[in-house]
Amino acid sequence: MTVAGNGSENRGGGAPLVRKLVLGALGVLLLVTSGLSFYRHRHLEEPVVLSDGVTEVKKLSDYFDGIRGTVNDCNVYFFEGAEPGATMFVMGGTHPEEPAARLAAWLIAENAVMEQGRLIVVLSGNRSATTVTRLGGAYPPDFAIPTDWGAQTFRLGDRWSNPLDQWPDPEVYIHYPSRQYLAYVDARNLNRTWPGRPDGTLTERTTYALLELIRRENVDIFIDLHEAELQYPVISTIVTHERGEELAIFVSMMLSDEEFNIGTEYSPKNLHGLSHREVGDASQAISLLFEAPEPFLDATRGRTTREQLLTGIDEFVMKAGEHGLLFEHIDESGWPIDVRVGRHTSTVLQTMEAWTELYPDRPLSCRGVPRYAEVIAEGLGHWLHDPSEAAPGRLVTE
Amino acid sequence: MKRCGRLAVGMASLACMALADAGALSAQEAPVTAELPVLLTSCGQSPGPGRVRFFLSRLDLEHEFLEQATAQDLIDRAEAGTPFETVIIVTGASLKGMGAAGVSIQDELERTAALIEEARRRELMLICAHVEGMARRAQGAAPGDNSDELSIDAVCPASDLMIVRQDGNEDRRFSVISESQSIPLILFEKNMELGDVLTSVFAR
Repeated sequence: MTVAGNGSENRGGGAPLVRKLVLGALGVLLLVTSGLSFYRHRHLEEPVVLSDGVTEVKKLSDYFDGIRGTVNDCNVYFFEGAEPGATMFVMGGTHPEEPAARLAAWLIAENAVMEQGRLIVVLSGNRSATTVTRLGGAYPPDFAIPTDWGAQTFRLGDRWSNPLDQWPDPEVYIHYPSRQYLAYVDARNLNRTWPGRPDGTLTERTTYALLELIRRENVDIFIDLHEAELQYPVISTIVTHERGEELAIFVSMMLSDEEFNIGTEYSPKNLHGLSHREVGDASQAISLLFEAPEPFLDATRGRTTREQLLTGIDEFVMKAGEHGLLFEHIDESGWPIDVRVGRHTSTVLQTMEAWTELYPDRPLSCRGVPRYAEVIAEGLGHWLHDPSEAAPGRLVTE
Repeated sequence: MKRCGRLAVGMASLACMALADAGALSAQEAPVTAELPVLLTSCGQSPGPGRVRFFLSRLDLEHEFLEQATAQDLIDRAEAGTPFETVIIVTGASLKGMGAAGVSIQDELERTAALIEEARRRELMLICAHVEGMARRAQGAAPGDNSDELSIDAVCPASDLMIVRQDGNEDRRFSVISESQSIPLILFEKNMELGDVLTSVFAR
């Protein structure tokens, strides 16, 4: 019996070894392929063909040296108007899993020419978060926008800074300086770390640098572009600091009358770390946050694909709507990326117009940036320019 | 019409309304008129009062906005010799707004009921406004949340005049109150028309 038993073990002895080798090889293969995918994602270069209106490109570290040499030392684009006026700062990429925010800023960077006043644009507010996608979320690493000259590929990002750049997370994130307790993962959320601090984490140092930019450049209006899931009540709206109430309401009413429905919400005074609260409290700027609908972010979505990201079509989110679980309408048309980007460009332009009506001695006017109907009619790719034809010195990468 | 042109027309209209006499300007004759100054508040802490306040300010109509106006505010102003003549309560609730203010819809209903009672006692004009359309009705509410409708029921049937953006009345919610309670109802279609409505109501 003992011999037979040994024989049985001997006969099976090779199989576990082979199994281990096969599984080990598969593991290495997975490691290599996924590692290559992560590497390519993190190092994908995104071209920006500078608009004729871009008068200077600075780095964020020009405002705070503590960010120099880090992944978050992003480009800062300046558009000096022909005539003096106010200063507006538009930022995309706070949450790079919300692509319409970055793409709207991209259209501005590649097309805007200021006639009155000054415009500052950042495309990658949290550049680190553009180099990673939602862990375990099966997000595509990138997406491509068809243009008149081919397709332009962009990194899809995450809501939070890349753990490669800021790690480990605390057990509980205690916001500085309010000491409000927030979710641990929000220690890496750029829209929970305002106003930041010079000796803090990478994300806190980034908001500190952005706030230094806002202060030193005497920004009058700061706009933080976002997208939101349809199951979130703060959607299709302008969130405003109390000092921006009149401006936000004026913009909301004009847009709702003329282009698309957009509401207004007030920034809660006791919810800390968000741009619409902290920038308004800590600087001279009026702080606004724009939200567009993005079904890709909904927890009840179906397949998490590039197509869903760009079309916003999702039968599961529609089903949630049929059960009254959504705060924004959705039908078979979905929420295409052109619609979402157009909402943002029109809201930015409308803010300039409304500001100029309210403060005519400090005007803002801009040409070249397409509005809502134009983006939808032509497709946003029409407004992205061919990097291979960029004039010398007019091409930068994000 | 170009965007700037439309904006200019809207603002020019506002400027004219502020400067010219009311009779010549009323795009729509108000069924009742009201006196200044105005106490503006909400029942539900929605951003709606901001829209009314925008036009009151631009039209230079004397008003005070109090997020949580109480009966005592009416008493205090009367005792100071500068009584309010009209109370505008904007209906429709915001969970975010109530959360930020640290109040519940029940708190709002109780505060508003006391305010209305005092306004009635002082024979003030009470105007109910609903200015954000269906977004501030059940369409914009979380599942099971009926705070918008509670807010409307608390104010509109007790009012002397209702001012409502037309799309918020697509189910005839306000028309039914108007007809059953014999309360005048002014409907406006576009946000920027609210300025015309207020000009006609506060004819000077």
